[in-house]
Amino acid sequence: MRVLGSAWKVLSARALTPVVIGLFLLLYVGIAFSAEDALMALINLVASSPSLIALFSLIPLNRGALLIRELNDFRARRRLLGDGTGILEPRLFEQTVTIRGAAGGFPAAARRLAGAGYRTRGTGATLRAWKGVTAFPARALFLAATALFFCGILLSLGGRVSARGNVIEGVALPALEGSPAGGVVRRIALEPSGGSLLAKTLSIEVAPGDDGEPARSFGLYPPSRYHGSFVYPRYLGIGLRYRLFAPDLPGGAEDRLVLSIYPPGKEDGREVEGTPYRLVFSLAQPADGSDPYTTGNFTAQFKLMRGNDLLCAGSAPAGGAFAKDGYWVEIVEVRRVVVTDFISDRGVYLVWLSSLFFVVAALAWLSVRVVSPRREMVFLSQGEGITASLRAEGRGRQTAGLFHELLDALNSADGPHGT
Amino acid sequence: MPSIIETSQLTRNYGEICALKPLDLKVPEGEWLSVMGHSGSGKSTFMNLVGGLDRPSGGELMVGGENLLALSEDGLARFRREFVGIIFQQHHLVPYLTAVENVMMAQYFHSVPDESEAITALQRVGLGHRLKNRPGELSGGEQQRVCIARAIINSPKLLLGDEPTGNLDHKSTLMVMELLKELRAEVRFTVIMVTHNQEVAAWGDRTIYLDDGVLVREERVGQR
Amino acid sequence: MTSMAVRLMPHLLAWGAMLLLLARGCAGRRGTVAAAAGAGFIGGIVAAPAAARLLGTDASFDTAKIVLGAAFLVYCAVAVAALYGSGRSSAANWGERLTCSAPVAAAGAFFTGVAGGAVCGFRSLSGSVTTVCAAAAAGLLLLPLMLLVERRLPAAFVVSPASLVSGITSLLLFTSSSLLRLDLFSPLTMKVMKFSHDFVHQFFESMLIPDHLFFTARLWGFVGVLFSNAVGFWGALVVWLAPALLVICAVALEPLPAVAHLREGARRRKTIAAAIRAKRQRLAVPLLALAVFSCAVYQSKFPAVEYWDPKPIQVSASPAGEIFIPKKGEVDLEDGKLHKFLFKKGGTEARFFIVMTPAGGLTVVLDACSICKPDGYGQTEGTVICYYCKTLIPLDTVGRPGGCNPVPLPCALKADGVHIDGVTLVNRWVDTVQATARVGGEGK
Repeated sequence: MRVLGSAWKVLSARALTPVVIGLFLLLYVGIAFSAEDALMALINLVASSPSLIALFSLIPLNRGALLIRELNDFRARRRLLGDGTGILEPRLFEQTVTIRGAAGGFPAAARRLAGAGYRTRGTGATLRAWKGVTAFPARALFLAATALFFCGILLSLGGRVSARGNVIEGVALPALEGSPAGGVVRRIALEPSGGSLLAKTLSIEVAPGDDGEPARSFGLYPPSRYHGSFVYPRYLGIGLRYRLFAPDLPGGAEDRLVLSIYPPGKEDGREVEGTPYRLVFSLAQPADGSDPYTTGNFTAQFKLMRGNDLLCAGSAPAGGAFAKDGYWVEIVEVRRVVVTDFISDRGVYLVWLSSLFFVVAALAWLSVRVVSPRREMVFLSQGEGITASLRAEGRGRQTAGLFHELLDALNSADGPHGT
Repeated sequence: MPSIIETSQLTRNYGEICALKPLDLKVPEGEWLSVMGHSGSGKSTFMNLVGGLDRPSGGELMVGGENLLALSEDGLARFRREFVGIIFQQHHLVPYLTAVENVMMAQYFHSVPDESEAITALQRVGLGHRLKNRPGELSGGEQQRVCIARAIINSPKLLLGDEPTGNLDHKSTLMVMELLKELRAEVRFTVIMVTHNQEVAAWGDRTIYLDDGVLVREERVGQR
Repeated sequence: MTSMAVRLMPHLLAWGAMLLLLARGCAGRRGTVAAAAGAGFIGGIVAAPAAARLLGTDASFDTAKIVLGAAFLVYCAVAVAALYGSGRSSAANWGERLTCSAPVAAAGAFFTGVAGGAVCGFRSLSGSVTTVCAAAAAGLLLLPLMLLVERRLPAAFVVSPASLVSGITSLLLFTSSSLLRLDLFSPLTMKVMKFSHDFVHQFFESMLIPDHLFFTARLWGFVGVLFSNAVGFWGALVVWLAPALLVICAVALEPLPAVAHLREGARRRKTIAAAIRAKRQRLAVPLLALAVFSCAVYQSKFPAVEYWDPKPIQVSASPAGEIFIPKKGEVDLEDGKLHKFLFKKGGTEARFFIVMTPAGGLTVVLDACSICKPDGYGQTEGTVICYYCKTLIPLDTVGRPGGCNPVPLPCALKADGVHIDGVTLVNRWVDTVQATARVGGEGK
């Protein structure tokens, strides 16, 4: 029992979370001076170490334990103020003092409190008073938010699975492990948005497929779902099929490539397999300034290299060809491609939910603190003395002044003074 | 009863003018002492010395166990802040501050202001309905009651009054004197009241008469 | 000797201030603390040049930097503990008990002495044995002097345990920041910049936020700030000043004493007024520490160091496209100083420099690195410094690729001089500057 009690005390200690965060910060500092990508290195280290995962999990456990402890305290105070049952524990209040005095002064004190806007309740031997709105719901929401946030990170650390695939117009969606292939991508559309945050929107329209899913469209944000994974478009690319003929390559060579050549001006190249040649492609910027990805009017520019020697350079639209000095390059077709990550991560939902909780908690706390913070007073007559307790979530000086005034009035063996 | 004030050969000279000749006097704790005399008799000089507002030229002066001659300027200032409350004939309230703020000013110079305590003090002197009024909006008697609240807010052991009812009508004078009597009974401070009014002097326990800086007569006055 | 004395003066003054704080903060253990501090100072001032000889300058400076960094981390922990324990008597008791305990006070004073002495030792590295002895003697002389001054200080000058750590750390880091190779703030800005970049990148990935390609330019402009040089400076400033601010908050947020048990209003107010006064007095040292930390930042940003940065000499290529620089021509390439050159071709102006490394060989590098904007390099105190990010690169690593090192340039080192291919030089310069320009304008 004692061990459990100590364990509970440690688990619900306010200092536990900052200590654990401090340890991870120290770890980060140590890694930062020996590795380039320190944050990634830390994430990978924690994800691969059960003891670090266990240490990290103390944070949401601590937040949960704090929430339980504070909820118990809140309920104890509510009981005390409401029907007067329960023991007056000093730890529930900010100040507790015992003075000489008699319960005969309570009615006058109650009138004084009522005059100051307090609601009062009392029996002969007790006087309870309160005013304002408690910020405890905001506090509870905050603790829940931090617990969810760190739980979300834990789930991500342990269970995030990411698979990268190319989503190509006219081609079926990549099949994820354990799932049937998806439908064919009918269209990839990049449209100007005109919003204040997004300049462009992307939509991937998919036909019904063997997986039984109906026709649907994947957007940018919030990310869509595909067989339990989030669809996270990363980069825009170009799928290009070419044919190459050269003097020493009469039979020609043909290939399909996914190239990172968007936006226009970016270059990407590949070796032509089985030949000494290398083709470096880029997209031409249309003269009218339009976005070829949006319009679909692609003109590919290319450089044909052999080693470091440039043999020829030119351009051709999709379906067109270019010939020079015995070299012939045909751009058979160009398709839109979106390099996409399919991410399975249950932690993301928890982190989003925690963000919502944080915002609500902050707004709630601010409103209550500004408008009408909670103030509570309890007076108990015990023998020749009175035990008085005070708790103020805001406007502490003002509340303390009233509290002292009431104590002065009650502190008399002869009874209260009139005020 | 122990003495709160003890003087021995206390004198005060202003150049060649001897405002207070050697004075031996003991004032027991809790006593209400009235000091009477004609203009220039040394009453205010005596009160200023006892209140730490002036330094004696000679003799000894013990107030509340403190030897005022031995105190530095800072020490005297602390003594005045913590030990003495003064009510003047001219009120000396700050005209642009409300009644509550005038009382809080005394708290500020003593320690820290506390509005709740200031309000309680004003309610005690019967001005709970005039808290937010400035001195210009108060009658003479009300202003003097604000002064009383200001004087006692820091729980002084010694309350000095320099003709506090000099500018008041008869009714207001009675009200102020009744209030002082009640407060003295509650808080138990010693009162030294300088006055030239026999009726006012009669409220005290004892009256001393000063003439040209000399204590010429002393009378015990019965309780009213 | 005189110039060395002038350079040592701020260090000795800081040492004196540390002694004052130690004497006042460990009031019951003045003698022990003074003796331990003095012993530590002598040890530190002797150990620094000894370590430089035994381990090499770079290793000894790196070790000292690690120790200073560890001290800063301990200070951070103390500041957080002070804030969390604010108002709890148990926390205050712990602190008081530690500072009053002879072993702890002595150990802390000894460490302070070693650190203070080591910084003085590193400062006088270029001086003679006489200089070191004189500095040691001056440091020891300050002991009784500061003890005397401490006794004269008013009782209102209170040094709580957290304030003691705050003050000493600030003075240590202030003195060390005047030495380029012990400065912690500049490397901190780089790490913060890297962290900011990594964090934003990771945050976007974790929250599945689309790539910047889809954002409006305006929004990306705001996000781009997080990748800039400025975020490194301001972020580092926050980290640098945070512990001092936490200690100030810990004092400011201490709850006032409970006075409900006092029935007299005047007594309650007097008790509260005394507590407020005591709080304000306890704020003096943390506020001073904050000011000293700020001075350390200024010193780091504007070091009183002269960089050797000669005007680039224009060179041209032969008809075959080769640039030749003789070892002893217009400049002596083997004099240990870096020599800058400028080559123009077409519209491109490529800068490079040649320097002799401590190993005795000539190395040829671009006057730019692969990650910073090409603001160039200067030479000082056995290192070259990148003007953009203020990273110090030891001379013996110049010529090696990676990090903020200047980009190495292939060349032929012959008996007569250095032969460089002009096309290679221009291509490498263009590739480097283009890479940094893509990222650049916004720093690393």
